Amino acid sequence: MLIKGYEVVVGLEVHAELNTKTKIYCGCRNSFGLEVNTQVCPICLGMPGTLPTLNEKVVEYAIKMGHALNCKINRICKQDRKNYFYPDLPKSYQISQADIPLCENGYLDVIMEDGVKRVGVERIHIEEDAGKLLHSDKFDGSLVDFNRCGVPLIEIVSKPDMRGSAEAKAYLETVRSILKYIDISDCKMQEGSIRCDVNVSVHKPGEPFGTRCEMKNVNSFSAAVRGIDYEANRQIEVLEAGGTVTQETRRWDDQKGISVSMRSKEDAQDYRYFPEPDLLTIVVPEEKVKMLKETLPELPNAKIMRYSKSYGLSRYDASMIVDVVEKSAFFESAIEAGCKAPKLLANWVLGEISKFMNEGTAITDTKLTPEKMAELVNLISDGKISTAAGKTVFDIIVNEDRDIAEIIEEKGLAQVSDESALEAIADEVLAANEKSVSDYLSGKTNALGYLVGQCMKASKGKANPGAMKEIILRKIGG
Amino acid sequence: MEIDIRHIAKLSRLKISDDELSGYEKEMGDIIAMVEAMPEISDELTVDPDNAMNLRQDEITPQKFSRDEILKNAPKTVAGCVVVPKTVD
Amino acid sequence: MKLYEYSAHELSEMLREKKISSVELTKDILSRIDEVDGRVNAYLNVDPESSLKMAENADKLISSGEAVSRLAGIPIGIKDNISTKGVPTTCASKMLENYVPVFNATVVDKLSQAGGVILGKLNMDEFAMGSSTETSYFKTTKNPFDLSCVPGGSSGGSAAAVSCGEAVIALGSDTGGSIRQPASLCGVVGLKPTYGRVSRYGLVAFASSLDQIGSFGRNAKDVALLQDEISGHDPMDATCADRKYNSLYDNLSSDISGLRIGIPKEYFGKGIKPEVAESVMNAVNGLEKLGAKIVPISLPSTDYALSAYYIIACAEASSNLARFDGVKYGYRAKDCDGLVDMYERTRSEGFGREVKRRIMLGTFVLSSGYFDAYYKKAKLLQKRIQQEFTDAFKSVYAIITPTSPSEAFKIGDRISDPLAMYAADICTVTVNIAGLPGLSVPCGYSDSGLPYGMQIIGRKFDEQTILNIGYAHELDMGGYKRPVL
Repeated sequence: MLIKGYEVVVGLEVHAELNTKTKIYCGCRNSFGLEVNTQVCPICLGMPGTLPTLNEKVVEYAIKMGHALNCKINRICKQDRKNYFYPDLPKSYQISQADIPLCENGYLDVIMEDGVKRVGVERIHIEEDAGKLLHSDKFDGSLVDFNRCGVPLIEIVSKPDMRGSAEAKAYLETVRSILKYIDISDCKMQEGSIRCDVNVSVHKPGEPFGTRCEMKNVNSFSAAVRGIDYEANRQIEVLEAGGTVTQETRRWDDQKGISVSMRSKEDAQDYRYFPEPDLLTIVVPEEKVKMLKETLPELPNAKIMRYSKSYGLSRYDASMIVDVVEKSAFFESAIEAGCKAPKLLANWVLGEISKFMNEGTAITDTKLTPEKMAELVNLISDGKISTAAGKTVFDIIVNEDRDIAEIIEEKGLAQVSDESALEAIADEVLAANEKSVSDYLSGKTNALGYLVGQCMKASKGKANPGAMKEIILRKIGG
Repeated sequence: MEIDIRHIAKLSRLKISDDELSGYEKEMGDIIAMVEAMPEISDELTVDPDNAMNLRQDEITPQKFSRDEILKNAPKTVAGCVVVPKTVD
Repeated sequence: MKLYEYSAHELSEMLREKKISSVELTKDILSRIDEVDGRVNAYLNVDPESSLKMAENADKLISSGEAVSRLAGIPIGIKDNISTKGVPTTCASKMLENYVPVFNATVVDKLSQAGGVILGKLNMDEFAMGSSTETSYFKTTKNPFDLSCVPGGSSGGSAAAVSCGEAVIALGSDTGGSIRQPASLCGVVGLKPTYGRVSRYGLVAFASSLDQIGSFGRNAKDVALLQDEISGHDPMDATCADRKYNSLYDNLSSDISGLRIGIPKEYFGKGIKPEVAESVMNAVNGLEKLGAKIVPISLPSTDYALSAYYIIACAEASSNLARFDGVKYGYRAKDCDGLVDMYERTRSEGFGREVKRRIMLGTFVLSSGYFDAYYKKAKLLQKRIQQEFTDAFKSVYAIITPTSPSEAFKIGDRISDPLAMYAADICTVTVNIAGLPGLSVPCGYSDSGLPYGMQIIGRKFDEQTILNIGYAHELDMGGYKRPVL
């Protein structure tokens, strides 16, 4: 996609907090939202004399992500210090990885409406998060909460392979989906457990890449889209006015919808990276690297392809189900439990089930089981009960652990498909609605719907609408 | 080898007064002159797989310190937080 | 003989045989401190009350038979860069003047568990940066053999205290010679163990890849006794080796017959005072008479070791000391005008000149554009130096050199000339660079009565051999002599 003849080039650095039990370098609890400065110890506060010890799960989780993004795993690697002063960084350096990341040279296929887009993944490395600064107008100064210090992060750096904000958004959503499927991150944007930095440049097709600007403080995927669009337009305006784009770090202000310069290339921070002397070489046994690959679950992209291929779902519907791990797991369990109509099942998952999930109720909070859902969908698909009756049953089995057949019996919801019974109803209705019959015969086709409706009414909703329609057509000879 | 002491001091978050500047320039210059005699070595830094470390199991260490205890050395605290001069971003 | 004059291993037996109590012993050492520390300035902080409480506890452990450690009841001094819970740990810096740790270093926990009696915290060069204890913010420790001379450094307080009976044994730390050089200058025995032998958890870092905690005593046996208590794997320190430990004390032997010892020519020439070289060679001859095979060897990169050392050590220090920023603990400058002003003034006012210079040197060698020319080159040189030692150790079991190029120098003589001060470390830094164990033992005295020291360097994790050599030397030629104060 071109904007005013320019191609927009985007690269992304995604920081995801890992959902390990403990922090990356100490045994403090890794959890969000607890009272300030209660999840800290001398180590994550960098008290004099303390030393880091690397959490093995962090290494495993990062390798899992590396496999999911088709990376080469550097099973022998090291950690480095990134030095800078800031009050939320207790040691005044962040333990990270510089020249040898745990994973590198991978790619991610992103499913777009018009096909598949392959985005290169330059590297994935492990590092520690910093604390949080709290500001208050009531108070002359900033407050530091160190709880988040040492929360494990992976940084996933893409190649500048995306062209515009739509691809960037799709990439981010796919990355998030994978993180959730391999269960290494909670991916809660509002808790800051997944954040990104955005690199944007623009150029005319066929010409070399333009100068890029890095944008920080992008706190949601929608903010990423807005930020990229804004930044691309800003750069194009600069170029169109005969100016040049300067390489700099900018800060995205999502409320104002603008980016502002933070520092130029000349002021770039000198992080003075060097190998972390408090830690020795990370050596992951080859068997472990292999095992982590073998135990990887089916990834979202593969699921989407399988749902559309094996179950005939549209890519859109498939991705809507796959997007939420719980929905997808329920969908698959229901099929395993014998559901014969996957497309109909998908409609229920994306309809009624999504409805209560959107209100914050998990499937496991209800009495609904995949087995019952399979049974219900099969009954509807076989014409044993109507869709409307199905909804009645559904509402009951969500709240109560009851037998479906019993409910149908009790509520008299079984659909009538018996020919003679249906013919009797048809005869009655046709006799009472001669006008509509003649309307239909004179070409007003929607009169047919009215007649079927009348039949359904006469049957108190129990007639099979398909069968009913056929009988009417046969009788009036249309 | 000229060293930009002011720049290095800034990176180190140190304030060097005008009086101190020449002294540091001389001393640092002497040291740099000494270390510049190191021979050229055509080799690359590598990671040594024989120097591997044990990793820590992902198990929570029970909290041994109260918040008051852990912050008792902080120069200034308010509401369970350390206080610093207002930060810009 | 006063109790403070006895060795740790003698006292250990006397305690066990109930000839003395730890309280009695501790009181004697405390009165010795009262008597001489006004002149020697070894301690930054002594807490008689808590020491006596520990002594009482040790006596209980001993009388109940629960004390299994030889260390139980022995009074120990601790360098002030080793974290002690509830006791100020200042690193002899204004920056940490009021810092009171909430946790113990692993070695301190080990000593407490063994029933050791902690006397107090010993003076040092600020953040262990120096070779004379003159960079301490609080006071300059004096050499007990000549109060106008330095005790060496950075563990000058530890060496002086052990030398003049203000402690029976003491802990120090060694990054480039900070145990061995003051041991040499104060006429005591000091061991820098193999890197990874002792947990660094709770040692305030100067240069993480070189720092190692070690022991001071007046003889090889005492050093072995203390070293046994502090060595071994610690899951809190990823660089601490996870390997079996055999007691140095139990295996101490003066039988060195047939042992091949290397003498590297590079350590006996330029920069070394002839009298020092002579006294070391005299001791080597003694070892030869005891049956050791003396082999001339060469360690050609020695000349560059000091450069590599200062680059690596300062680079790490610049990062390690960045945490002292006035935010979480320690000094914070008053009336600051914003964050950057607070950082700059806190650090400029809190650190002394030597520390600031090393921080800047370290910042410089890591800074953009200079990394390859300095830091990387130094690390490559380190690799080469390590290789030279590895090659040398194919044919010898130990290497002997002087510990310090000269005896103790006068207070004030070198403090304004960094290069002259750094030269005090030329014999010791290679051992840290190579991660090897090194021992300094007294090997003679100058005309004015100042001690000379001999350095014995061992293979990785072979502290036993070098202590055995030191032990043999000491039995044969005599070692420690008490300074007259």
